[in-house]
Amino acid sequence: MKSATSPGIRFLGIRFSGTRFFTAALLAAAFTAHQAAADIKVGFIGSLSSDTGRSTLRGAEIAVDELNASGGVLGGQKIVLIPADTGEDVTEGIKAYEYLAESEEVDFIVSGSIDDVSLGWIPRMREYRIPTLDTWTSYIGIIDMVIEDPEAMMPYFMNIASDEALATLYIDFGKDVLKGQMGWNSVVILAEDTAFGGAITGLVTDALAPEAGIEVKEIIKYDIATVDFAPIFSKAQNSGADFIYLVSSVNSQVVSSQYVKLQVPMAMTGVNVSAMGADYWEDTGGAGGGMSTLSPVPSVGFKLDPVSQAFVDTYRARYKDRPVMPHFNGFNAYHGVKQAMAAAEAAGGFDDVDAWASNMKQQDLVLELDGQLWLRYGFWGDDEVEPRTGRKYPHNIRFDITEPYDEASPSMVVIQWYEDGTTAVIYPKKYATGEFALPSWVK
Amino acid sequence: MLLQILIQGFLLSGLYALIAVGFTLIFGIGRILNLAHGSYLMAGGYAFFWIGQIIGLPKIIGVALAVFLGAGMGIAIYRLIVRPLKGDRIAVEIATLILAVILQAAIVLIFGSSSKIPHPLVPGVVRIADTPIAWSILVATCASWIILLSLYAFIRLSHTGRAMQAVSMDPKGAAICGIDSNRIDIIVWSISGGLGALAGVFFAGYTQLSPSMWVTPLIISVAVVIVGGIGSIMGTLAVAHIIGFMEVIVTTLIAPELRGVFTMGLIIVALLFRPRGLFGREEI
Repeated sequence: MKSATSPGIRFLGIRFSGTRFFTAALLAAAFTAHQAAADIKVGFIGSLSSDTGRSTLRGAEIAVDELNASGGVLGGQKIVLIPADTGEDVTEGIKAYEYLAESEEVDFIVSGSIDDVSLGWIPRMREYRIPTLDTWTSYIGIIDMVIEDPEAMMPYFMNIASDEALATLYIDFGKDVLKGQMGWNSVVILAEDTAFGGAITGLVTDALAPEAGIEVKEIIKYDIATVDFAPIFSKAQNSGADFIYLVSSVNSQVVSSQYVKLQVPMAMTGVNVSAMGADYWEDTGGAGGGMSTLSPVPSVGFKLDPVSQAFVDTYRARYKDRPVMPHFNGFNAYHGVKQAMAAAEAAGGFDDVDAWASNMKQQDLVLELDGQLWLRYGFWGDDEVEPRTGRKYPHNIRFDITEPYDEASPSMVVIQWYEDGTTAVIYPKKYATGEFALPSWVK
Repeated sequence: MLLQILIQGFLLSGLYALIAVGFTLIFGIGRILNLAHGSYLMAGGYAFFWIGQIIGLPKIIGVALAVFLGAGMGIAIYRLIVRPLKGDRIAVEIATLILAVILQAAIVLIFGSSSKIPHPLVPGVVRIADTPIAWSILVATCASWIILLSLYAFIRLSHTGRAMQAVSMDPKGAAICGIDSNRIDIIVWSISGGLGALAGVFFAGYTQLSPSMWVTPLIISVAVVIVGGIGSIMGTLAVAHIIGFMEVIVTTLIAPELRGVFTMGLIIVALLFRPRGLFGREEI
């Protein structure tokens, strides 16, 4: 997954973004003051200015505070959290990882990095061999690295379903709803000109369209700096397709709000990263209704089990600024940090990476709602084969992409923003809290 | 499709003309490139957003505040930067560029770095030839045309406007004739700021608010001056329409990702083959 970038301030070789610089400085000062008594250092690597990066950081903060409040870890040692900002920039991400490894000598790193940034620092991780958990990037290529070189990738874990699993379940949505329920036969893809846009466009054209029986009429690429979508929507209309498939991770609120303001007379669904957060409605100035998007779990509109709900309650009581609700990776960080610490307890610390990784693989948190499995934080075994895709996902979170989803969490859900600002999960049925809905101006 | 291009090109061009006209006025009067011009749009857009969506006051108050803020900024820039540095155009350009960066940082501090979508000035959509047109952009374009024509009439017909023309032609000669060029400069800078801020309200209502939103209008304005090569209002209108229509044509018929490239390319081509611009140099 990937999201917007923003300008920043460079300090000690690390880029801190805009207003967050001072916050980071205060945090750093606070952390430094506590380091004398600290024994376990957890590094955070991600963007301090993006909602997704801050979700991971805050999820980790809450987990660390709860662990410290319950007596610490590894014989009562306290945990400190040290943030390093990537600014969603690959070079800054590498520097941030080096800073955490060399200057701070952290024991464990939790990451809220986007795909490209994770790919940038992974060679450093292999070199330093610091146990690292990715909560945001879903790039299947990283799991392939684990398969190809398990020894070098031993410290790496990813507790979000990789994008192939996301796409596989989304194909079902295409078959069941876009084609089956709506009767749509053709699509025009509206994709941002980024690596993320290219990857998702490839998945849609190669997998979704052929398997769901939907013809791709046209692929329209646009620059991420685009602020006027009127001619682009006209072009989409002229394609004669039944609906628009949007692929947008950067500044998604602009294309969404113009779709609403111009009342484009065709449906639009797809991957809209800004619509995955609860701040989307405010970000679009209320012009965000009628959009649906794929989202990893837990998403906005997702019914929460008691454990996840307690996390959200703590989060909302503690943080008053955006993101008002943690994104899915905030949940991943919260549970993931606790699991990493539990694995360290079992392995006697983080120093023996093989032992830690072996125990990390054993972590398995099942969260139930109304007596049935709702979410699961566990990992695929090294030699386990996922039956539907026929491939292995070592060190990737265990997911379920086959009904009735009683083995693990679904890899994704589809969420719907309605015109009154409310949200619902609309797919898969087990998790649905609402129905797929077209904007009122689409006939 | 041709009709869609005509409609969208016309709408966009009107807005571009309003964005660039204040920049052109300053260039016409003082031969100065005010690189903080995009900041007027940013300030105007955020002021409108703050009044309407944070304070909750009527939009018209937001528009009025934005214009006053822009005019005030124009006067402040003139008095605090331009006048002390008068005679050194490069210093003025560097100073105004730095000011734009500082103002961007101030916006990040106050409003955060994430983009914001302001409510449209006028909600709703009208369809012409199967082309959906937001009322807000239609109103913005009509208002732009009215303002530009009024400004043209003001400069041509009023005493102050004729004094502006005189300063534009020959500041020393104008001073000999008793025209207070300092007063004229203040008027021009305030008009430039006010129109820029108003354009910011229209532009942000159509697109988005973001701390870096000053860059695109600045590029458009620079392109208008370089390609037009003039400081006249009619020349601004002509070049704004060339850029607006070409952007829509490139987006619709060639490739949307090349849209921004066209404006940049136009600047380079003009510098290489027509350094005095399409219309040469004139008074305002």
